[in-house]
Amino acid sequence: MDIKFSGVTKIFEPDIIALEDIYLQVDKGEFVYLVGETGSGKTTLMRCITREVVPTRGQISVGGNLLRKINRFDLALFRRDIGVVFQSFLLLPNLTAFENVAFVLEVMGLPPKEISERVSEVLKLVGIWRRRNLYPPQLSGGEQQRLAIARAIVNGPSLLIADEPTGNLDTHTADEIMQLILGINAAGTTVLMATHNQYLVDTYRHRVVEIHRGRVVRDEEQGRYELNGGC
Amino acid sequence: MAAVRYACRDGWRLIVRHWGMSLLTVFTAMSVFFIIGASTLFVLNVRNIVSSLENQLTIQAYLKPKADIAAAEKAIKALPYVKETKAITKDMALERLRSRIGEQAKAVMLLGENPLPESIEIKVRKASEVAETARLLVAVPEVEDIVYAGRVAEKLTRVSGFVEKFSIVMLLVAIAASGVVLFNTIRISVYSRAEEIGVMMMVGATSTYVALPFVIQGFILGLAGALLASVMLCGTYYAAVTRLKDMLPFLPFIESTRLTGKLAFMLVCCGATVSLISSLMAVEKFIRKASRPL
Ligand SMILES: Nc1ncnc2c1ncn2[C@@H]1O[C@H](COP(=O)(O)OP(=O)(O)O)[C@@H](O)[C@H]1O
Ligand SMILES: [Mg+2]
Repeated sequence: MDIKFSGVTKIFEPDIIALEDIYLQVDKGEFVYLVGETGSGKTTLMRCITREVVPTRGQISVGGNLLRKINRFDLALFRRDIGVVFQSFLLLPNLTAFENVAFVLEVMGLPPKEISERVSEVLKLVGIWRRRNLYPPQLSGGEQQRLAIARAIVNGPSLLIADEPTGNLDTHTADEIMQLILGINAAGTTVLMATHNQYLVDTYRHRVVEIHRGRVVRDEEQGRYELNGGC
Repeated sequence: MAAVRYACRDGWRLIVRHWGMSLLTVFTAMSVFFIIGASTLFVLNVRNIVSSLENQLTIQAYLKPKADIAAAEKAIKALPYVKETKAITKDMALERLRSRIGEQAKAVMLLGENPLPESIEIKVRKASEVAETARLLVAVPEVEDIVYAGRVAEKLTRVSGFVEKFSIVMLLVAIAASGVVLFNTIRISVYSRAEEIGVMMMVGATSTYVALPFVIQGFILGLAGALLASVMLCGTYYAAVTRLKDMLPFLPFIESTRLTGKLAFMLVCCGATVSLISSLMAVEKFIRKASRPL
């Protein structure tokens, strides 16, 4: 799924300019790091793609959908084709790991048997199959992160949006999570990943888009992490 | 449809999870629908009694003391509408009284002379002629007083008219009350799942899918209330009618099972509609708020 931002500005009332005149084109199958200091607008940019946020000015088109015009029903269908790993996980504490993932497929109306198969498969893929009957608070940070990724990819999305998926994780675990996401990208899913992890960006070289105070200040193929901050 | 099955499962879970609230809601709905049903049955019975009274075609004209009963009968026979007359002498009146209340009628004789007045019983052909005939009878010099069922019916009609107006108001208030209770129950359920709904919508749940479990929850609660009310109503109604028939054997109470069946059906439909509307309103309001982008 491709993404296109044309002159996108988001002003939160009354006067917080979270994004300013963003032009960004991401092609189908690409892997893009989104970097920038805290508060620079990374999360807001991603929430524009899922249409949790509507820009004050400008157009966004994702996979051919013009997000400004999309209706409630089409938005639901559109979101089924996107996987999101939220910065704060957003796992449901009163559902088991298995149910947290199964939930996504129930929403799509799949029959129980197929749900069971696909959830098992994806939990094995992210390596928490043995934890499937535990509740999120009983899982470690890394396991919760894997569960969040499992939930994001279980419906085979064309676009994966990951907001700091390795925040608070040790290097080794971060590496494993990264391998997972790279694998998903290799299978054809477009990936947009916001991160503060210098090690990952510098090790697994891909396109880097840097945001500073709501503006794109750098956009490099095979970029490095170090933040310029608008220089 | 798997989605419908998931919605039913979730709706049932909501009921069980908030079981105290569910019980309270069912109980409230039941009380409300019982009141609605009971007042409807009351009004229908009063109407039935009124119309059966109105259909009695007999007028009783009591004569002045010392009036000439034969002359009175002749004068009355000459009036229009009058189909049949029958003179009731003092003795016959006493005999009738005795047949109705038994030997206690003898007490009347303790007064010495038979105090019962002579009267003429008049039959007309149509109920609509009763009032007009009564008016003409007043003009007959021998007649002191007239009594006919229509007069009782008139009074009852006035009472039942009031009861009907009052019970329509009650009905609206009761329906609104049950709607508000259901609305609140569903709203509490919705808020208890607010987080879940947020995630659901992020992963592509349609509004219908999100709303369905809550609508099912409200529907089941409202329906259960109405069903229980119907069962209770039928039970208490037949018990009450059996009792009343002994006490007031001359009044025609409605005993048709078709009527009570219809009423129960109406209550259940009413319960279903009210619960559907109020739960839809509760959940739709939340969804609209939750799906509004920043
Ligand atoms: N819902 C909101 N209401 C008001 N301001 C917001 C909201 N979301 C984000 N912001 C502001 O927008 C700016 C960018 O935030 P964010 O996109 O979360 O940055 P990042 O993810 O890069 O740390 C910040 O100044 C933040 O306070
Ligand atoms: Mg952020």
